[in-house]
Amino acid sequence: MSLTIYGEQLSSRLLIGSALYPSPQVMKQAILASESQVVTLSLKRQNPNEQAGQQIWQYLQEIVKQTKGYLLPNTAGCKTAKEAVTLAKMSREIFQTDWLKLEVIGDDYNLQPDPIELLNATEQLIAEGFKVLPYCTDDLVLCQRLYDLGCQVIMPWASPIGTGKGLMNPYNLETIRLRLPEATLILDAGIGKPSDACLAMEMGYDGVLLNSAVALADNPVMMAKAFAQALKAGEQGYVAGVMEQRQTAHPSTPTLDTPFWHQN
Amino acid sequence: MNIHINGQAFTIEHEASINVTAALKLHFITAQQSTFAVALNGDFVSKADYDTTRVHNGDSLDVLLPIQGG
Repeated sequence: MSLTIYGEQLSSRLLIGSALYPSPQVMKQAILASESQVVTLSLKRQNPNEQAGQQIWQYLQEIVKQTKGYLLPNTAGCKTAKEAVTLAKMSREIFQTDWLKLEVIGDDYNLQPDPIELLNATEQLIAEGFKVLPYCTDDLVLCQRLYDLGCQVIMPWASPIGTGKGLMNPYNLETIRLRLPEATLILDAGIGKPSDACLAMEMGYDGVLLNSAVALADNPVMMAKAFAQALKAGEQGYVAGVMEQRQTAHPSTPTLDTPFWHQN
Repeated sequence: MNIHINGQAFTIEHEASINVTAALKLHFITAQQSTFAVALNGDFVSKADYDTTRVHNGDSLDVLLPIQGG
């Protein structure tokens, strides 16, 4: 079962970041182990003559070639719609893609997205032809507004970036899924454990985007494999149909004629 | 005139303005290096416009390159 992002079919439902790994080599091994076909990256001030940035860029190009995948540039660090739009245009020129993970941060403490600037930026970027994947809070109305503006993909947070706290508000996330059945929903940020990703998939989310959970693991490559399996398990669980919870116990083994059975 | 490129100050004598291509050369950057993009005072400048876009006294150029990101 595949994930569709703006018309592109992907074999994996995992989107993965390229930051914070112990080395570029481990980054490449972990991303390949994750089976992800979408890798996020960013832009920063550098001199093109410096080699460090060029090396990372070469690794990322190799990964995308090997996975037949896609780059997903982000607008990390932007705090206004104007900054995000400028950075988006710079990304498009470099990476030759209309895809954009739109981040507009409103608070430095928890890196919470600014919903007003996010909507402003989204509107401008869609008008400029971008295919926007907005990173947002788990606010139903905000997600609805983003969808109404034309975002086919919405990416609410599980919890603040880099915290690894998992799904803070499962009710909110389930409600977004219920109310936006046609949107492609990707849970982004705050994932800590493979079971977090599995839970999101069991809720019917279409995918998960994470970075720190793999990059900061003791063994990033093994953790990448664990996440790949967790997403598949969660997806299959959702498709298979989870049983309804019941208030009282029900014996799973038939009681009639079991040894020492007594009719009460 | 004085300009900034990635926060670094540059002084250009006897010019009221220069184009982006010339400004980038101050930072040893040539347009042939494909993996960078430029903003002038916070607005994107496409590669096609480097020769015609003028940089004036007090302006700031940002030259951005790919890095890892989440």
